[in-house]
Amino acid sequence: MASDTLIESNIDISQLVDKPWTTVVWDDPVNLMNYVTFVFVKIFGFSEEHAHTLMMQVHTEGRAAVSTGSREEMERDVQRLHEHGLWATLQRSDKI
Amino acid sequence: MSAFAREGGIYSLSLTIDEAHILINLVEQLLELLGEGDFHPHYDESDTFAHLMAQLRAASEEITVPEDPVLLRLLPNAYADPEAAADFRRFTEPTLRMKKKRILMEVRSALEVIVEGGEAGVVPDLNAENWLLAINDLRLALSVRLEINPESYELFEALSEDDPQKAIYAVYFWLGWLQGSLLTLLSGG
Repeated sequence: MASDTLIESNIDISQLVDKPWTTVVWDDPVNLMNYVTFVFVKIFGFSEEHAHTLMMQVHTEGRAAVSTGSREEMERDVQRLHEHGLWATLQRSDKI
Repeated sequence: MSAFAREGGIYSLSLTIDEAHILINLVEQLLELLGEGDFHPHYDESDTFAHLMAQLRAASEEITVPEDPVLLRLLPNAYADPEAAADFRRFTEPTLRMKKKRILMEVRSALEVIVEGGEAGVVPDLNAENWLLAINDLRLALSVRLEINPESYELFEALSEDDPQKAIYAVYFWLGWLQGSLLTLLSGG
């Protein structure tokens, strides 16, 4: 049973070593959709298209992982997202 | 009627006197909630010394999760785990508060010129991204008080004209329209 779980798991081990933390943005009924896209482009330098895709994921699925990296890097990302009024948290990548 | 405009990379906002009053009232209430006194700071909050002072103040004061839901929305927890969230807040919340207050103070100063003029006016050469953030924070604050949800617009339309809530909803949706118009300009539209 345990081996089944391992084989089926989607976890990329190298990702866990290099990028152990993930920043998650949560949906809210207030922030305008094009505002969220604008903030993603501004903070992360994403292309308009990628930012739009992530914004739609937040909108339809309730949340989206927007960046991964060290804990310090993700704390900086969360802080910047809070400055822009987005609802963001960070968590360990293996807890996503 | 209010509108943002852009000419040659310069942004401006024309406001009626009523709109200027509504905006400055909201900005001042939010500043008070964020702990800004009724004084004009004469130091530049972005300089290194002020930053260090804010951190020292943070180290000596107990910083806890805000009880006011508006503050909690503007200064949210960064971790689901309460202990990690409290640690993060202790070190970062003073800076976050300071940045939000600095932008609101900038907006307040510009609005004050119109309000004191007593008639419709124009905010010339404004920092579009800062105004975008300020309007967003005002919308977030109002949304908590109004308990905004995806059905709120229908609720607003159904309210009778003499319902005192109607005016607050109207301001909330007007701010959304205003922010949307600025976003269109910022995106090159």
